[in-house]
Amino acid sequence: MAELNFGYLPGDSFFHRLDARVKLIGLILISIATLHARMAPLLLLLGMALLPLFSIGLSPVKILRELRYFFVLLFFVFAARSLSTPGEALFSFMGISPTLEGTLMGLLVSCRLLLIALAGMLLMATTRTWEIKAAVSRLLAPVPFIPHARIGVMIGLTLRFIPMILHQVRQTQDAQRARGIEARGFFYRLTRLMIPLMRRTLKDADSMAIAMEARCYAEERTDPQLNAEKRDWAALAGAVSICGFVILL
Amino acid sequence: MKILEIENLSHRFGGGTFGNQEIDLSVRRGEFVVIAGPNGSGKTTLLRHLNGLLMPHIGTVRIAGIPVADDLRRARQMVGMVFQDPDTQIIGETVYDDVAFGPENLKLNRKEIERRVADALSETGLSAFAARRPHLLSGGEKRRLAIAGMLAMKAEIAVFDEPFSNLDYPGVRQVLSAILALHRAGKTIILTTHDLEKVIAHADRLVLMAEGRIVADGPPEIVMAETERFGVRQPCTFRNGGRIESWLS
Repeated sequence: MAELNFGYLPGDSFFHRLDARVKLIGLILISIATLHARMAPLLLLLGMALLPLFSIGLSPVKILRELRYFFVLLFFVFAARSLSTPGEALFSFMGISPTLEGTLMGLLVSCRLLLIALAGMLLMATTRTWEIKAAVSRLLAPVPFIPHARIGVMIGLTLRFIPMILHQVRQTQDAQRARGIEARGFFYRLTRLMIPLMRRTLKDADSMAIAMEARCYAEERTDPQLNAEKRDWAALAGAVSICGFVILL
Repeated sequence: MKILEIENLSHRFGGGTFGNQEIDLSVRRGEFVVIAGPNGSGKTTLLRHLNGLLMPHIGTVRIAGIPVADDLRRARQMVGMVFQDPDTQIIGETVYDDVAFGPENLKLNRKEIERRVADALSETGLSAFAARRPHLLSGGEKRRLAIAGMLAMKAEIAVFDEPFSNLDYPGVRQVLSAILALHRAGKTIILTTHDLEKVIAHADRLVLMAEGRIVADGPPEIVMAETERFGVRQPCTFRNGGRIESWLS
């Protein structure tokens, strides 16, 4: 099996050692801050998000490869914004007139989404699925009437399946490329991909559920130890300060 | 002393076809049983009843005297299972995490989990791989990882579903060595295969299955005379009238 995308990368970096709860809160804070951020601080945050990704061994090429489908989504967001926002037309071609205001707004929204994706990637690459499950469960525990253990399990399992689904996408695409599907149109390829992908994903999910059951999987289990130390509190304070700074700028 | 007793087991699938019919089988503690049969003969279906992944429509399965249905958790702790496709059995993001998955589900304390995982990794020769991503291991190493997961659960019965499929010669030898080490440690081994050559030299007993039923059961040197009638190839040396040799010799 080839190396999995969007999965945990074993390591011992500063971010690997941070408490999963701090990383999760940090991701939430960054997501909120980006909604209020302007372009300059947003670019600063983007740079700050890229550095730790490089430090854990993800090269720019690999990051671009991992996010290639996400960039398609960003392109559509950018195009929709630049074409639908009223303002001064940049140019006009066959009835299509992107505006200056729309282009700037499209860039801003795309950067915001990209930053959230990068922060999510950092969380996923440095945190084990079961640590995320434990963190969600612990953070939700004080909230009344919320089945925190079950929500933790659901999130943990969902995250666990993402690399598996992406692996299936690659395998199915390889099998189809081997039979010359590249000569066909985009929508044909998409429909031919989705049906076997769904079937194989469901089959794999079934096999994994059986394997987990065979090893006594239950909602109540010994979760990974989460210990917030000085380093974690300092990181949290840093995240709060940066986000506050970004919002105020 | 009998560790496994199956009485009059029948299992019918949703479509009405029988996966297993009128199975009676007892296995002594420490016995090495090979269950052979062609594809679709009901081997995997039978194995899945041993730890309650499937429940019989008729009949009972008892592990050390207690029906599986009465205490599923106990049955799953006592019966460790290595599935045919090791990739779908891998749950953890590192080798260490995967071995710890079972003990964590048993709600053991962290110290005991660490001790069990360290012992299991050492016994299977995987200690050096503890921080690796399991999906990047070789086929033989993945099977050894599954065995380590079973050891960490302190399973009494080790069940292997086609453990040699898709393995090269060194991989087969690695896995066979690990299985024999389990047997020497006093574990009961139940192994399914349609390729007797690789393992039959070590078995105490050979059970033949066809169309969901047990059609022969006894010492390997006697039952092997009948295998080809039921779609299982005899080992070459046996066909030539020679002595069956271990793949490890």
